[in-house]
Amino acid sequence: MTESKLETKNLRLFYEPKDRLRLTVEGDKSYLAVRPAWAAPLSHPNRFLSLLNSKGEEIAMVEEPSALDEHSLAAVTTELERRYLTSTIRSIVEARSDFGATYWRVQTKRGERDFVTQSLQENAQWLGERHLLLIDVDGNRFEIPDIGELDASSQKFIESAL
Amino acid sequence: MNTAQIVQRDNVAAASSDEALIRLEADFAEDGRYGLRTMEVTTTCVRILEPGSAQSCVVPISQIKTARNEPLVGGGRLEIMTHTGDFIPLVSYSLSVAAKFSEAARGIEQLSKGEPLSINLKHERVRCEKCGRLLPDKDGVCPACVNRGKTMLRISRFLWPYRYRAIMLAVLSLAATALNLAPPFIQGSLIDSVLQQHRHIEKLWLLMGAWLLVLVASSGVQICTGRLIAFLAGNIAADLRSAVYRAIEFLQLTYFDKKQVGAIASRVTSDTDRVWGFLVDGLPYLLLNGILMLGIVSFLFSTNWELALAILAPIPIVTGISAWYWRPMSQMFHKVGQKWARFHTHLNESLQGIRVVKAFAKEDLEFGKFQQRNAELRDAGVNVDTRWYTLFGAMTLFTSMGTVINWTVGGLMVYRGALTLGEFWRINSLLMLLYGPLQWFAQVNQWFSRAMAGADRIFELMDMEPERYGDSGVHKKIEGEVEFEAVRFGYDKSNPVLKGLSFTVTPGEMIGLVGKSGAGKSTTINMLCRFYEPDAGAIRIDGVDYRDIALQDLRSQIGIVLQEPFLFNGTIADNIAYGKPGATFEEVIAASRAANAHSFVLSKPDGYDTMVGERGAKLSGGERQRVSIARAILHNPRILILDEATSSVDIETEKQIQEAIGRLICGRTTFAIAHRLSTLRNASRLIVLEKGEIAEMGTHAELMEKQGTFYNLVQAQSAINEIIGVGAAG
Ligand SMILES: Nc1ncnc2c1ncn2[C@@H]1O[C@H](COP(=O)(O)OP(=O)(O)OP(=O)(O)O)[C@@H](O)[C@H]1O
Ligand SMILES: [Mg+2]
Repeated sequence: MTESKLETKNLRLFYEPKDRLRLTVEGDKSYLAVRPAWAAPLSHPNRFLSLLNSKGEEIAMVEEPSALDEHSLAAVTTELERRYLTSTIRSIVEARSDFGATYWRVQTKRGERDFVTQSLQENAQWLGERHLLLIDVDGNRFEIPDIGELDASSQKFIESAL
Repeated sequence: MNTAQIVQRDNVAAASSDEALIRLEADFAEDGRYGLRTMEVTTTCVRILEPGSAQSCVVPISQIKTARNEPLVGGGRLEIMTHTGDFIPLVSYSLSVAAKFSEAARGIEQLSKGEPLSINLKHERVRCEKCGRLLPDKDGVCPACVNRGKTMLRISRFLWPYRYRAIMLAVLSLAATALNLAPPFIQGSLIDSVLQQHRHIEKLWLLMGAWLLVLVASSGVQICTGRLIAFLAGNIAADLRSAVYRAIEFLQLTYFDKKQVGAIASRVTSDTDRVWGFLVDGLPYLLLNGILMLGIVSFLFSTNWELALAILAPIPIVTGISAWYWRPMSQMFHKVGQKWARFHTHLNESLQGIRVVKAFAKEDLEFGKFQQRNAELRDAGVNVDTRWYTLFGAMTLFTSMGTVINWTVGGLMVYRGALTLGEFWRINSLLMLLYGPLQWFAQVNQWFSRAMAGADRIFELMDMEPERYGDSGVHKKIEGEVEFEAVRFGYDKSNPVLKGLSFTVTPGEMIGLVGKSGAGKSTTINMLCRFYEPDAGAIRIDGVDYRDIALQDLRSQIGIVLQEPFLFNGTIADNIAYGKPGATFEEVIAASRAANAHSFVLSKPDGYDTMVGERGAKLSGGERQRVSIARAILHNPRILILDEATSSVDIETEKQIQEAIGRLICGRTTFAIAHRLSTLRNASRLIVLEKGEIAEMGTHAELMEKQGTFYNLVQAQSAINEIIGVGAAG
């Protein structure tokens, strides 16, 4: 079952049928309904992409997705965008801590969003010196890859909220 | 942001074919940005409406084969498979609404199969109606809008049992205030009518006598108030803690899944502290100083309004500074608190894991982490303290300014004869009494809010729906028939773990539950104990819906050995007797013998009086399991549940325990879970679970003959055993 060492250059990914990602290993076989999953989306972003079959078993691990051919990369990127509904915060419009809850209004890659976090002790996780992950009361995730890149007022909100 | 609505009819057929039976709003637009799309389900089709009601996708119900919620990272997607094999990813949504769409998917499947629509979608409030803020808990209270007055009233109810003492405290405090005011007046008259005039020396004795009396009285009052406060604080704090603990004890387990134990524990300790601190210290302090200040200010004005104005001039500055800096200061204090928490967490963890640290020789790494936390703590502390002392210095400057102004302006007035020296002195002394509490007044609001927030969190717990423990359910003696009917359940509602389990167990049967790790075995057991209730379907015991049986009755007739046995810090005997308080020592020993624990217990120097340590840490894994089996046996249940009860003991011991249990369980319904399939050879029937569904059911022989899932599991295991055997032999 496990063909652990599949060469990245032999992998072809495309949508066939519509909305179903398919993986063909050059000169070998084809897999339907393939699911891409980042092995470590937070600590190793954009590397270590695992391709799973419909049962959730790994078919191949692509260490450098950028090494995929252009069409495959485009297809897998689309699929990843559909499967990772996380948000990256671009700026913080407002953050108010009141009565044990923190109310946020943020500008993300996906547009503006309001959310509430509780007990920031657990729900604001520092993944690095300046890499922050906020988890709201419903479990939605908001990532700030680098606090230093936010504008001054956003940084101030974080400073005072955390 | 995301509101959901369901228009449900008793009679689906009566609804016109275009009327929406389900209407849900998803929060992702098609391009993956945030936006609103509406999904409508009618009797004939499922359709997606873009903002502005443009219809972007319609799927006729008749073409739908399956509909499901595909869990994605940070949300989900409703996926439809048609009879023609087409795959349609219909709509994506965030976790805020995923649970609703998962229910809707079930509804769509029901419609497509021609079944009546029976799903559970209720409208939930996500924003506060008053202030429009998002609610931390759906349908919960808005922490910003809870009625302060009502909360105050509820808090003060805790004072009720001590009302006489509380009234006495109030009276005594008033007396103390009055006595505090006396010395300045005595000093004033002394200066004016004796010292200035250089006669009436007899009045000096009189006044000094009065002063002495005041001193004695005020110390007396002080002692009494102190004792009263000690009494009230202790009692109210204890009452609050018991009330909160009692409420927590009866909460549903789902609550404990969501919250960390530390966070719950802090409600019992720090939240109650805030509340009683406010009741006993804050409230009297506030009232008295309020009265005192009002009194002093009006006295100042009545004596000499010009001087009063001059010396009170710095007050707005002092309150201003205090109010302005309070928020950032309190945030900084809060931060120090958080750093302490982080520091403690790390310290605890590394000490608890000290064996692992040593085994991997990672002392330096841990020290590095420790140093980092330590430095953070130091910096935060230094930061807040330097600011605090700066601020404090500035405040002192302005408060002392009042005195300087008094001496300048008042001195001038005395010099000119507009004010007597006695009056001046009186004012000067009162000023000291005034500026003292003033510095703290700006913080009162914060103090109050903190207490209210604490109270709200406490009351939120008390108001939460408890397990219906003592409620009106029927009391009955359980025979042991258990029936699951299409039981569905998920810890996270958008992701079912049990997908429609149906089986019936007759009294006295031993059922083996098998399946891969994560298949839902422990979850099935959790349902049976009613730790969680099914999202759909029913569980019947002796033909009665188990929700109609009084919970305490139900649980007291079920004995369970958990997968991770938990022992309380105490002796082995205490732990075994936990299920039957008042059990005789003979019974304890009998149960322990049956669980094959007796001999290992005797080998301990203190025998049954051996302390097991926190969580039973001083016993080995297998020993813990045997103690907990003994505990379940002594409990003498009608239904016995063994979740991997013998996984940590050797095969030989397991055999002995099994024989003992075998004798014990005759006549009792037993559920046994085991990965080691040989453990289940006594089972009358086996249920094989696969991803939350029953894959196979039958006796050992039947399943082996069938050569299905179970057969494969057995084959795999015996293959492994052979390998182990060969390895051992070689
Ligand atoms: N308290 C919980 N909160 C959320 N998910 C849970 C919880 N408990 C179990 N799960 C999940 O439910 C699924 C079924 O778990 P369950 O404990 O029933 O498995 P099991 O069959 O007993 O497995 P094992 O043999 O490993 O004990 C797993 O995917 C697990 O991650
Ligand atoms: Mg389990």
